[in-house]
Amino acid sequence: MKKSYEPKPLFVERMNELLGKDSKIYWEKIQEKELKSIRVNTLKISPKELKERLEKKSWIIKQPFKDHPEVFIIENNLEPGEIGRALEHLLGYYYVQEIASMLPVIALKPEKNELILDLCAAPGSKTSQLAAKMENTGTIIANDLKLGRMKILASNLERCGVSNTIITKQDGIGLCRRLKRASLKDANGKETLVPYQFDKILIDAPCSGEGTIRSTPKTLLMWNVKKIKSLSRLQKGLLAYAIEVLKPGGEIVYSTCTHAPEENEEVVDSILKDYKDMRIEKIFIPIKTTPGIKKWRDKEYLEDIKFACRVYPHISNTEGFFIAKLKKIK
Amino acid sequence: MIKIFNKNEKQELTAKLRKQFGIKEIPGIIIMRGKERIFLFSGDFKGRDIRKLEKLTFIERLGVYFAKMDERDKTIRLSIEGTQILKDQIKENIFELSDDLVEKWMKGQELNIKTGKKGFLIMKYKNDFLGTGKASEEKITNFIPKNRRLRERN
Repeated sequence: MKKSYEPKPLFVERMNELLGKDSKIYWEKIQEKELKSIRVNTLKISPKELKERLEKKSWIIKQPFKDHPEVFIIENNLEPGEIGRALEHLLGYYYVQEIASMLPVIALKPEKNELILDLCAAPGSKTSQLAAKMENTGTIIANDLKLGRMKILASNLERCGVSNTIITKQDGIGLCRRLKRASLKDANGKETLVPYQFDKILIDAPCSGEGTIRSTPKTLLMWNVKKIKSLSRLQKGLLAYAIEVLKPGGEIVYSTCTHAPEENEEVVDSILKDYKDMRIEKIFIPIKTTPGIKKWRDKEYLEDIKFACRVYPHISNTEGFFIAKLKKIK
Repeated sequence: MIKIFNKNEKQELTAKLRKQFGIKEIPGIIIMRGKERIFLFSGDFKGRDIRKLEKLTFIERLGVYFAKMDERDKTIRLSIEGTQILKDQIKENIFELSDDLVEKWMKGQELNIKTGKKGFLIMKYKNDFLGTGKASEEKITNFIPKNRRLRERN
């Protein structure tokens, strides 16, 4: 049984303002138990084979998306911890992952042989999803900063058999700056600047986590509005520096698991205003979402921000998320 | 420091795996960290690209942990992922676990069984490859890491 925490009045006020008449069903929905979902690790097993195995254990499996058969919802009540304890999990045949958390990679559409930067990679759910889509080809640079998170990342990638990934430990902005300054020496020792140019970049940014309160009620305890402001600055920095190592024609998916507009629309809006070679793209994801908002309190955002997607628990019965896809115009 | 295997070193490793398990080819780049742990990288970065990146930032991990070199007799112990990646090539020294034994094995227990063999055996249950054990006269020693073991229900 999860411990429940009272939301702080300012958080309630902000959510009510953001959601308007929908706020009542939002507050009801986040009291409900979350869906149990897993993602088949297609590097090791096919969805069909895993489904058969799990059904033999009397698990009731639903595949909600025809185009994404690797997404499973487990419909029956299992014993606590059973999903993480199963042999199939220990062998890396699936990853326990919330559906909303699978969406940024679905939006990014990684392909075989691409060079991809996963800037804030731990704990590795999305990195392993990227690797599976790329069939362990191309190269992923998966970066994170904290040692503890790094160990979890390495352990999850190992369990999933991810072999196309290089894990680096650096702050995201610092890494992008260094990748931009990369150089190579020729046979005569002459150094030439050869900056990294990624086909695609995923920034699943550190955030205030408002979208996760159904699964992690403790988020409510840690929530504070000052943190939102400082995170917003960090997120703008991460996105701005990542653009510097994106190749022309390349794409970035920026995502958070929070609802705060300062960490979402405001970040994307500031980038679109500062970088004229960046354009926001429409996203195709398999759940119902709402468009990015064009106004929050005293701030108005660009019209195109509507192409970003807001994912709400009361609309899609998932965690809350924000996803925007940006393209560098050639 | 990351050591990237050259062609000869990779051939030498392949020869050992051929002798032990009948494996003929290892896909990808082989990397060694320390004296024992061997990693397999299937990405399209070449040695030169890896060195270039290493100059810029700290590389924590490269590819998947794939095998360990036994310091004493220089034989190779494949990790769970190593056995899964090479499963189609493994032809020799396979130990098929029964329904009774698979649970013991995945709980990290040694198996008190006389196999008539000595040295590393690939542990297999139906279509699942479960890493490597080391057979001696009386038992098979277990190397399943703690975080991959079956736990008792609370």
